[in-house]
Amino acid sequence: FSHFIPKMDFFFRSVFGILPLFIVLLPVNSSTCVMENTAVIREKYENILSHDIELLENMSEEYRDRCCRNKRHENPSAFFCNDTQEIWSLQNMACDMLKFFYKKKINKDFRWQTARVSCMTLEILHCRCDREQKNRKVCILLTQPSKDILGAQGPKKKCCQELCELKETISSLRSCWNKFEKEIAR
Amino acid sequence: VDVLHQSNKVLSLFDTPIPIAPVHTNDELENIDVECFSQLEIKEDCHSLTCNFTELDLNNTNINLTICTIIENRICSTMEKQEGTYFLYFYGILSPKDVCVVLESNRPYCRSVEVTHIVKPETPFGINITFRKDANEYFIQYTTPHSKKKYLKDKLIHELAYRQENGTWETIQSQYLRVKLLGKSLQMGASYEVKVRSKPNGDYFKGIWSEWSSSEYFQIAAEHPIKKSTDLVVVITTVGFILLFVTLVLILTFWKTRIKPVLWPKLPDHKKTLEQLCKKPKKNFDISFNPESFGYVHIHKVDGIQAKAEVECFLQPSAPLDADVSEKVCNGSDMKTRLSAVDKSILKLPVTYGGIWPSDTLSGHLCETHPSMLNESSNGIPYKVCSSNGTQLYNCGPMTHSSSSEDPTVQPRSGPLNTNTVSLIQPNNGVRSSNKDEAYVTMSSFCKNQ
Repeated sequence: FSHFIPKMDFFFRSVFGILPLFIVLLPVNSSTCVMENTAVIREKYENILSHDIELLENMSEEYRDRCCRNKRHENPSAFFCNDTQEIWSLQNMACDMLKFFYKKKINKDFRWQTARVSCMTLEILHCRCDREQKNRKVCILLTQPSKDILGAQGPKKKCCQELCELKETISSLRSCWNKFEKEIAR
Repeated sequence: VDVLHQSNKVLSLFDTPIPIAPVHTNDELENIDVECFSQLEIKEDCHSLTCNFTELDLNNTNINLTICTIIENRICSTMEKQEGTYFLYFYGILSPKDVCVVLESNRPYCRSVEVTHIVKPETPFGINITFRKDANEYFIQYTTPHSKKKYLKDKLIHELAYRQENGTWETIQSQYLRVKLLGKSLQMGASYEVKVRSKPNGDYFKGIWSEWSSSEYFQIAAEHPIKKSTDLVVVITTVGFILLFVTLVLILTFWKTRIKPVLWPKLPDHKKTLEQLCKKPKKNFDISFNPESFGYVHIHKVDGIQAKAEVECFLQPSAPLDADVSEKVCNGSDMKTRLSAVDKSILKLPVTYGGIWPSDTLSGHLCETHPSMLNESSNGIPYKVCSSNGTQLYNCGPMTHSSSSEDPTVQPRSGPLNTNTVSLIQPNNGVRSSNKDEAYVTMSSFCKNQ
């Protein structure tokens, strides 16, 4: 039995050594977007999604942002629209916005419209959110005719960190869509 | 179908979960024709889908329609049946949907539907008709509920239909919410009916016409005041142009004969005046003051006829020439004072006979001023009359007695005689005409200079 141990040791080392290597080599963010015809993406954005984003921006401007200055965003990557990676950036922003669906400090209609824009963005780009199964179900919940799923409205505060974060994300999403549209229009 | 009063049955996974059935064709259901249309933003952010079967006999059968999404999670919902139509609210319009016909225990027959291609807009409303007098047109405005919504705001075309009472409909299409009807295309005094409907313009959203709006009626004015004033303006303008044309023709016609002489009178031309005064000559009768043209005429020399003084000619040089010879006695002093008033240019003196030469024939000839003519006022106009050989022929001095050969101032001439006119030479002053045409023609210019 003693001469098997080096062999077994070699076996386990070789097998289980490779596994960490695979884990290291695995990409952090796997692509979960299906390639879609850019002309179709552009059509749907111009005729449908752009109007919803415009409505969301108007709603965002109704909230005063005096307390939103000099605030650091926890996830800075959501604000960058990387060149040649607009789809990936938009996916991140949309998935990040879905988390606000359950933030009761924010106005109910505002949250509803935010979730709609996020779900429409993911639908047009044929993407889905890998993180947070909870967020993935939001788009399914939006099919409900009633907004009761949003829950009761929380107490209103003059300054809301989450609101500031949401406003910035919405602005980034709009800018990234404009950039992507110009890119695919060429 | 009044969709606003339907129940809130919406595509949902949790209410009535329907197993995902594979799409199989069914012989019985394949021939069933289902017509559907969608209405966007019919209730806030919610859209609706309405379907019905073209074959009416199926209305009584137990057949259902389900709508399913075609994304990763196939979510289906049964449409609500209402008096032969099936109705459902839904949210997503980005992806196509499957409309599945389920007949009892049979497998469903599904057909893919793009909800953005079967859009039926909401009915327009609020037709407003305004008459614009200045333009003589009827300005028609209307409204659509989609003006305040997101997707179909500027994506519709509108059709306006109008007709006279119980007449045939005429239509006008416009992408805007206003249409103009020209008053001249409408019958005066008639009553018109107007209605409007909408349809997606086809750029991205496609579909069918909406229902017609409620009709509006308006009456055309019996008379168009603008038309009357317009007619009057046209008439006045036409008459004005005609008058202008006639005036131009008259001006061009009578310019030389009547208008120009009045506006720009010619200086009197005595040659022409005399020609005009002459009677119409007989044929082959030449009238000319050019002595050379009478070369063929045998002119008889008339000797011995003394020219009588024509004092009046000296005193009134502007008076018309009198071809008749008349004897007049003038006072020498009066004559000289009056002479000073005579125009210094040229003196005309009608003298008939006695050898008086025209001024041009006397040029270069020796002429002496008669001293008696220069002894009076310095304003007197010295003059002399000379013959071709320098002999003084005539003067209008104190010795005005004519027909006297003894008059020392008068010498019978020896040469041919110009019987018509005589010209006096003014050696020192006055203007001597060098142009035959401008010079006063004397009666003595017919004879040739020998």
